[in-house]
Amino acid sequence: MTAKTLSKENFKKFAENLVKSERTIGVKAKETKYEFGNINNADEIVMDYDVTLRSPRTFFQPPKEKLFDFKLGANTEIKPNIEADPFVLLGIHSYDLKALNQMDIIWDENNADQHYKARRNAATVIALEPTQASEWSFWGSMDSSTVDKGYDLLLTDIGNKYYVEVGTEKGANLLSKYASAEDATNDDNTARDKVRSELPNLCKADRKVKCDTDGITASMKNSYNNAIWEKLAEKCYSCGSCNLVCPTCYCFDVKDTIELDLATGQRTRKWDGCLLEPFAKVAGDENFRENRADRFRHRILRKTVYVADKLNGELACVGCGRCSSTCLPDITDPVKILNELCS
Amino acid sequence: MSKPKIAFFDFAGCEGDQLTVVNLEEALLDVLEHVEIVSFREAMKEHSDDYDIAFIEGSCTRVADEARLKDIRKNAKIVVAIGACATSGGINALKNIRPLETVRKEVYGENWKDYDTYRARGIGEVIDVDYKVYGCPMTQSEFVKVVKSLLTGTQPDIPNYPMCVDCKQAGNVCVFEKGQTCVGPITRAGCDACCVTEGATCWGCRGLVNDPNVDAHKEVLEKYNLSVDELTKRMATYFTNELPKG
Amino acid sequence: MATAMNDKSLYAPVIATIEEAKMLTTTEKYFKLKLNNGNELGHKPGQFVEVSVLGIGEAPISISSSPTQKGYFELVVRNAGNVTGALHKLEAGSTVGIRGPFGTNFPYEETKGRDILFVAGGLGLAPARSFINYVLDNRGDYKDVTILFGAKSPTERFFTDELKKISEMKDVNLLETVDNGDASWTGNTGVITTLFSKINPNPNTTSCVVVGPPIMYKFVIAEAKKKDITDDNIIVSLERNMKCGVGKCGHCQINNLYCCQDGPVFTLAEVGQIPEAF
Repeated sequence: MTAKTLSKENFKKFAENLVKSERTIGVKAKETKYEFGNINNADEIVMDYDVTLRSPRTFFQPPKEKLFDFKLGANTEIKPNIEADPFVLLGIHSYDLKALNQMDIIWDENNADQHYKARRNAATVIALEPTQASEWSFWGSMDSSTVDKGYDLLLTDIGNKYYVEVGTEKGANLLSKYASAEDATNDDNTARDKVRSELPNLCKADRKVKCDTDGITASMKNSYNNAIWEKLAEKCYSCGSCNLVCPTCYCFDVKDTIELDLATGQRTRKWDGCLLEPFAKVAGDENFRENRADRFRHRILRKTVYVADKLNGELACVGCGRCSSTCLPDITDPVKILNELCS
Repeated sequence: MSKPKIAFFDFAGCEGDQLTVVNLEEALLDVLEHVEIVSFREAMKEHSDDYDIAFIEGSCTRVADEARLKDIRKNAKIVVAIGACATSGGINALKNIRPLETVRKEVYGENWKDYDTYRARGIGEVIDVDYKVYGCPMTQSEFVKVVKSLLTGTQPDIPNYPMCVDCKQAGNVCVFEKGQTCVGPITRAGCDACCVTEGATCWGCRGLVNDPNVDAHKEVLEKYNLSVDELTKRMATYFTNELPKG
Repeated sequence: MATAMNDKSLYAPVIATIEEAKMLTTTEKYFKLKLNNGNELGHKPGQFVEVSVLGIGEAPISISSSPTQKGYFELVVRNAGNVTGALHKLEAGSTVGIRGPFGTNFPYEETKGRDILFVAGGLGLAPARSFINYVLDNRGDYKDVTILFGAKSPTERFFTDELKKISEMKDVNLLETVDNGDASWTGNTGVITTLFSKINPNPNTTSCVVVGPPIMYKFVIAEAKKKDITDDNIIVSLERNMKCGVGKCGHCQINNLYCCQDGPVFTLAEVGQIPEAF
């Protein structure tokens, strides 16, 4: 589709208009870090962040989500809860958008999940190519610096202005409604291409996965019985932090709650993680993944083999580095694991 | 069907858990739709020994406590330990890491021999306990959850994973990122990481998660420059009776 | 596609009424159910449903009846947790939530014209029964039928009336054993693998269906292999934490396989080399 530009000044106005008229979710400072949240004032928006604490999956698969209400009685009632308030997601980095594109496939395949779909359809995605990398980021070597789909608008900071790639009509409408954008010139195109080509270098030199995708998947398939899993998992808390910050983790647990009237209640789903001890347990106490090392290995194999298989071979690790930074014993960093196991 | 009769009892503790029950306010009225309270020193004068469910707060710290606990066990069909003191000994168990005589002298001075006391224990070390409500104090929501389990005859869903899960769900910045330390990675989740969410750190009042990786956490705490002395204190606050010996 | 589904949410059940409920053993309860919307469940032998007791939760339960039975379906539920415990308190007239049917089925079409060897351990008889009864209702479509059933003790046997009827059938060979007998038990004692010495399946024409507790598989599979039955003719049904039933929640994964979608019925050729399968 078409390409536009927005001066930084015009972008500010665009953001102000957005915040005034649309439910806008963007990146804000949170203590020493950044986090996606509701934007009430355009001044809160941070565009030059490195990475957010949690991935934007929070807005498509909330940490805790009501699936339906029920009312017991002669005629039991079940009322599905499909929440879909329209919102604008502003400033999602390329690697997170890549993950979101993958989740679109996962939630849709075989049995389409209406809860996810409703939220995804309610979103207008304004993606942003990163201008900073965290000390743990390695998206530069995971083919995640730029993404060619999934956005309604895609912003690239080319100095004094944003290059705006219009991905959909929804994006075009939003832009024309709230901003005065100019058509991109040849110079703008050249500037954007230059910024793009430099993007991978934003990640630190030592944050590179050395193998290509096929090499990684093949090596990981062969590493099932490698001693590395036992060795690393010795220090694993089984705390699931790596799962919960990951943009491509989507496993969930389902729970019922009943009110004190013992007649009404809800069924909810909640983020879960395959690192947690009860994850593969069944009633009667059989645990099909009882060892820490088996759970530890399962997550890495999901990202590189099992889920990748559902994504036509695309790795379900986008290199955001969140798991690496959140793991206190520092055992789960994919860069170290993949580089050690890849041949 | 008549309402089950419930009674509250306190042993060594601050009564913070019973206060949590009183503070339920409107939810307490909903609870009272289903149960009849026959004994609750914190909230009423009457007392009866005819009860089905006993909620016990506080730890066992004296020989005399044992007989009283066994009496309650005999009277009750179901015994519920509420709060850290009752579930694991709580901070009372801090005294267990030092020689008893030293502790008794320190607290009671020269008359220390007049005051009978011994190792502080969770009540589960003395009598069979059917349900445990963790925390210091327990949270209102978990207490209500356990009450609902009692009413529906199910096992309450008490998490068996570390606090980090609650922190991530809440979107907290990890306290280690802020140059502080906590024992959340080995502590049983279930409180929505309320302390960290409010800007404090986790002291482990819900006790150790099953199969905690204590060694890994000791290494991490050392890596974050916590001295061995500080580390021992931190671990002792709520875990004294739960930590693997040695 | 599953028939018992709410069209708004994958996770919302439809209501079914318990028409009959009775204890089979001290821990197993039988339920005969009918969907309130009047639809047939439309399952195939070997599939499962997610059963809800609203307010308590949901559990995957294999369907015990053959689709040749119309108008209702049957479940056998072991009391092993909150949901199944709550189910055990329900009697005829009560309602439950149902989603499904889900998962793969026993190869009832592909095995027509073949010999079928059923090997069921304990509660494994419940899912196996969906296929056994299908075969009995279409007896002419299959050749030799052998059923091996092992229980821990005589009191843990269930569907005993049906077993008795089957034992009287001339065209079915039923062999039973219990791990530990008692005064009333005059049959075989010993684990289920001991029954293999009493049979001589033709490896070229036999399909072997194995359902039982996790521990049982590798021993039974070894026996079946000793009889030269090939991996693609050894069929197993695996148990996992199939929480959502629709391939999303991740709990039932067996390495790359989703037990709720790719299974629960697999051939040994499919899962024999999968490290987490057995």
